[in-house]
Amino acid sequence: MIVGDLSRRELGERIAGPGLALQFGPFNLRIRSNLKSFASLAYQLYEPYPLPGTESIIDFHVQIASPRGLRQWMRPQACFAIDGQAPFAPYAVEHAFPALEWGINWCVATRAHHLLLLHSAVIERNGQAMLFPAAPGDGKSTLCTALIHSGWRLMSDEFGLVRPTDGMLLPVPRLIPLKNESIEVIRRFRPEAIIGPAFYGTRKGTVAHVRPPADSIERAQEPARPRWFVFPRWIANAPLALEPMSKSQAFLMVATNAFNYEVLDETAFQLVADMVRSSDCYSLSYSNLDEAIAALDELSRAIDE
Amino acid sequence: MPLASPLAGAPRLVCTIAVRTLEWQAWDDVYIVYQPSSAETHVFNETTALILRCLEQGPLSRKMVKERVEETLGVGLGKLAADDFAFATQRLEELGLIECLDEASVVQ
Amino acid sequence: MNKMTSETQRAQRLLLDALKTPEKLPTLPPADWELLLRVARRVRLLGRLESDLSRSGLLASIPPRAAAHLKAARNVIEHRNTLVRWEVNRILWALKSIKTPLILLKGAAYLLAELPPARGRIFADLDLLIPEERIGEVEERLLECGWFKTQIDPYDDRYYRVWMHEIPPLRHRERGTEIDIHHRLLPRTSRLKSDPASLFMAARPLTHPRLRVLAPADMVLHSLVHLFLEGDPDEGLRLRDLVDVHDLLCHFGQEPGFWAGLTPRARELGFGRPLFYGLHHAQRLLGTQIPSVVLQELEDAAPAWPVRHLMNHLIHLALLPGHPDHPSSLATFSRWLLYVRAHWLRMPTNLLSRHLAHKTWLRFRGARKRIDLAQLDLKQQ
Repeated sequence: MIVGDLSRRELGERIAGPGLALQFGPFNLRIRSNLKSFASLAYQLYEPYPLPGTESIIDFHVQIASPRGLRQWMRPQACFAIDGQAPFAPYAVEHAFPALEWGINWCVATRAHHLLLLHSAVIERNGQAMLFPAAPGDGKSTLCTALIHSGWRLMSDEFGLVRPTDGMLLPVPRLIPLKNESIEVIRRFRPEAIIGPAFYGTRKGTVAHVRPPADSIERAQEPARPRWFVFPRWIANAPLALEPMSKSQAFLMVATNAFNYEVLDETAFQLVADMVRSSDCYSLSYSNLDEAIAALDELSRAIDE
Repeated sequence: MPLASPLAGAPRLVCTIAVRTLEWQAWDDVYIVYQPSSAETHVFNETTALILRCLEQGPLSRKMVKERVEETLGVGLGKLAADDFAFATQRLEELGLIECLDEASVVQ
Repeated sequence: MNKMTSETQRAQRLLLDALKTPEKLPTLPPADWELLLRVARRVRLLGRLESDLSRSGLLASIPPRAAAHLKAARNVIEHRNTLVRWEVNRILWALKSIKTPLILLKGAAYLLAELPPARGRIFADLDLLIPEERIGEVEERLLECGWFKTQIDPYDDRYYRVWMHEIPPLRHRERGTEIDIHHRLLPRTSRLKSDPASLFMAARPLTHPRLRVLAPADMVLHSLVHLFLEGDPDEGLRLRDLVDVHDLLCHFGQEPGFWAGLTPRARELGFGRPLFYGLHHAQRLLGTQIPSVVLQELEDAAPAWPVRHLMNHLIHLALLPGHPDHPSSLATFSRWLLYVRAHWLRMPTNLLSRHLAHKTWLRFRGARKRIDLAQLDLKQQ
């Protein structure tokens, strides 16, 4: 059963009451909110996500709500909470939806230490995964969005979840937040992409969320083996350049970028070493999305031969 | 004061037990090394790695270590910059991988 | 009984039963596991559950989703333990030419002395006890070797040095671990007077010749003092500190002479009242076996009946976590009250109101610490 199987009214009742339970890859969440605006957006953007069975244990109990009291009337705010505790300062009530999405990232990053958490976008084709380790302002989300609308499956935009027992990557195909100009870039590039409303003036500028293709969400329990690391940089007017990168450098960039490399001690060291050793590592400079996609498609075709 | 022999009493460097559990990965031109005792990951160049290898055999004075490293690297004696060498040994000491032995103190 | 109270009781019962009879955990239904994980996380006892199940070989018998949460907690704990051990190693290296006794306190002591409270426990900082006259020298040497003073405003710095029992925390410039160097167990200003000299005399050596830990009775008393007098306005009294006390009592209780010497030592150090509260609550909540003669001996350390009744109530409310979905304002108030009391015991009223006022002012000004993800992790396991 998926969120879309609920009526709008039923969803509203769940969110305002006991909470809406849904599944993002390996994580079961229960989401509550007293904001009607939030419920409407949730109905639209979380539509394809599965509901966990009634007997399932929920991993994260989260809430985005407007506090009661005088505040309600002065400058309305939305506060993110997990297990009744609020780790962040309140947001403007208009930013409730992105606030919850960021809050969920925080929950994963601070709690999911049974996995190695790389900071990376991950896409998949033919059972093999391509990772884009994050660096600030590098446009990985834009590239990732473009790729998943061009034949690749989304595993994740933010977290490369590595299962320590076998080094496999686990999907967590959540909404992809696009910022500022990227929103328009994707609208033009793929008019059929499902993009939620834009939120202006957030802490990260203007943000809008892309709902991944249904296929990515349906296959959210299908792991993949890492095969390529690509470090992308968008540079205005730059010619396409896809160049092999030294593995020691790739190792260091992946390790320093991970959320919990240090926490997993020796296991993390071995996992990253194994992944980098058995993958091809590249740096990619591009200014044109089509060119970049073609180059990456070429990489994946090259190993089929 | 009696004249001491040149090497007697010269402080010697020695590896600590932390070195025995190091995990080495050789990549391109560097070593990426994990130290389980401190949960730290280090990047060592050839010189630093050689310093550790020399000392794994047993304690040596700084002068001896430097000479042996120079020999293994195939550079002339005295060619390794004193500053660089001192920096490397100081760093290794901070990381708890080598220590300076005077008579009394040994850190476990 | 309204839903809120019955849900809270259910949550507390689940937690206490899990602590006392972990072997029954494989029979817990998923809904109970879900709640147990949440409350255990709140009081930072997830690691303890993991450790109990792991040493009984029961981890494979619980729902995999629950096991994942426990495994995550274990990974964080093992990592922190490595960091604490290594920090001790580096401190010994830095201080090798300073011949001063180093007494490890709390977590570092449990870990290096391999005592039961170390099991499944997360230790944030490293606490050391050093004679007051050597503190300046020790601090200077550590600063030379790469540690730095954590950034605190001049008010706090003076507060630490003049009134407190420790100097402001030090942190190494590359590693994250914070060191708290104490010269006494309680602040100078405390209403409970205690003289550190006898602690040094009674301290016991560890395998490493330069390291010591407090004598068993002193360790128990210190953990009680830590429990009742070092509160936190949000967390109140930490249940896991009571679990530490329980573990220490069970462990040392087997040593001949331990029980007989406990109350006299408490009186000597001025810690009779915390011992009284500690023993009663450990027995009540965790079922600690305490010889009745010891409890009788302590009766004269008990406060007058009305205070005793109130304190029992407050401590109970402050120790046990609420249900995460049904916060109790009464419990929040109790925690705050006990926090204030803890401070009251540590400093005279005029200083206290100034101190609290300054703290409140800082809060309103929005002086927030930089969010340190590593520190956040510690509160989440």
